[in-house]
Amino acid sequence: MQYSQKVLDHFMHPKNVGKMENPDATATEGSPACGDQVTVYLKVDESSHKIEDISFLSYGCASNIATASIITELAKGKTLDEAKQITWRDAMEALDGLPPVKVHCSVLAADTLQTAISNYEIAHGLKEIPNFGKETIIEELRKIIYPQVGEDIISLKMVKYVGFTDGKVLIDLNIPSFDTWRENVAEEIREHLEKYSEVKDIQINFP
Amino acid sequence: MNRIYMDNCVTSQPAPEVLKAMKPYLEEKFWFPGSFISTGEAINSALEGFRKTIALPLNAKANEIHFTSGGTLANNLAIKGLATAHSDQGNHIICSVVDYPDLLTNAAFLENSGFEVTYINADSEGFIDLAELEAAIRPETILFMTTIVNHVLGTIQPMDRIKAILDNADHKIYYHADAGQAFGKIPLDVSILGVDTMAISAHKIHAPQGIGALYVKSGTKLGQIIHGVRRIDDLQPGGLNIALIAGFARAVDLTFEDFASTQTQLRELSDYLLAQIEATIPQVELNGPRGKNRAPHNINTSIDFIEGEAITMMLDLKGITVATGSACASQGLKPNYILMAVGKNHIQSHGSMKFTLSRYNSKSEIDYLVSQLSEISTELRKRSPLFNAKK
Repeated sequence: MQYSQKVLDHFMHPKNVGKMENPDATATEGSPACGDQVTVYLKVDESSHKIEDISFLSYGCASNIATASIITELAKGKTLDEAKQITWRDAMEALDGLPPVKVHCSVLAADTLQTAISNYEIAHGLKEIPNFGKETIIEELRKIIYPQVGEDIISLKMVKYVGFTDGKVLIDLNIPSFDTWRENVAEEIREHLEKYSEVKDIQINFP
Repeated sequence: MNRIYMDNCVTSQPAPEVLKAMKPYLEEKFWFPGSFISTGEAINSALEGFRKTIALPLNAKANEIHFTSGGTLANNLAIKGLATAHSDQGNHIICSVVDYPDLLTNAAFLENSGFEVTYINADSEGFIDLAELEAAIRPETILFMTTIVNHVLGTIQPMDRIKAILDNADHKIYYHADAGQAFGKIPLDVSILGVDTMAISAHKIHAPQGIGALYVKSGTKLGQIIHGVRRIDDLQPGGLNIALIAGFARAVDLTFEDFASTQTQLRELSDYLLAQIEATIPQVELNGPRGKNRAPHNINTSIDFIEGEAITMMLDLKGITVATGSACASQGLKPNYILMAVGKNHIQSHGSMKFTLSRYNSKSEIDYLVSQLSEISTELRKRSPLFNAKK
């Protein structure tokens, strides 16, 4: 599957690209080791909680740039509560779809937006720093896309068990040994969970 | 403007003379080889001529050239054929971490089939570690294989020193070379190289896809890998496309009729390309060696802080075809294994751009490429959090 015309348009002529001076909140997700990294900057009106301005920087492929561009378009002018409803599926839809192997790019863009909003809310006393627990792990697993079909591993019922005790994460995955994407999925789970200081050890089991 | 094509290590544009040479074998001479009757004999004798043409620049004999459907099949027939034919003498094989996937996947297959494989390392420019090679040899070693010109870095392995090490062993070690990127780019004389088998491919030298050859030194025993009716070749039974073989032979003729000047032309073009990139775009580095130990058609540079799939896409939209080692452009979402094996980091691997030239490229094409690449790099760096953080 090739990129849609909308992906190409947002890649060649992205909206809201560039570093923002004095943002009210910012977030960076991903890393060069993952192959892509996105930074989102927010300016938020203090009384209405509307996103007055938003911009992004992207280190990544065409779909990474396009998904970051569209996510900023979707969030601009929305209140924080409205913007919190924006998911990677919205970004995908707004771009007329992505090749399955590129769906994780839309997850990264949506995730970065959500982290920026969360960072704003925490800094402005609108919410507490969330406790880390099994629910956090499951939320992170919802962001792991199985590249062959472009769906997350929770929806695909690939996760059989999630446990968290004394800093140790235990995950049982239902991915057979002949599956060529097995290592990619495991690696991405590690990248998503290692950023939490509460996580000391990650064990991923396969059948 | 015509598309600018600089991905010639993957495949190259068939020469018009090649297509012309193929045509009779798709029309009036559509026959298979055979004995006694004139149609079969005509093909027999044509094939003999084609074998001679291809053997000549390799300093091989015509009957040492075996046609295959491409380089990959040639590699398979040689590697599996040598390993199985000589497994009574040992079960140890040596190759390197920077070999072409044909070699590494065959090595992995043989490992699963009970052979032991030692993967020797390479230095930062992609040259294999000869001390490791020497140390890896043991009485059970039956096969060493190498990729003469690295398909990513353009590194030309020190073939004379490899030969000396293998000659120095106190028993026979069969020697297979993949010359997919070397044939038609650097001189290859099988007696100087000392190889027992060597795979070559036609579509990298301006013949169509779907034909290659395996050189097998006279007297070398190979296990039979493919079984079936003998039409053209013992090693690959069944039919082979005679027209493609005719095209292959013509492409060899054209490549070697003035080999020295073609090599010089390619070297001048790639030197010019590298000089232009280095002069125009800041913070780039060359991957692989500089100078005479690099194949004349290959330039591979990493452009820091930006990602190769995006660069490749933008160049594509400007009518330029090139390649990248970025994970995002790979089928398995992994950074290029060669770049990682020679110690490059993720940013260098994801930002690596490979330009492989042919005799059909020109300086004006390079000028256009570099001007576009420079604009694209500036634009993508403006968008990059890594570049903005460095500023």
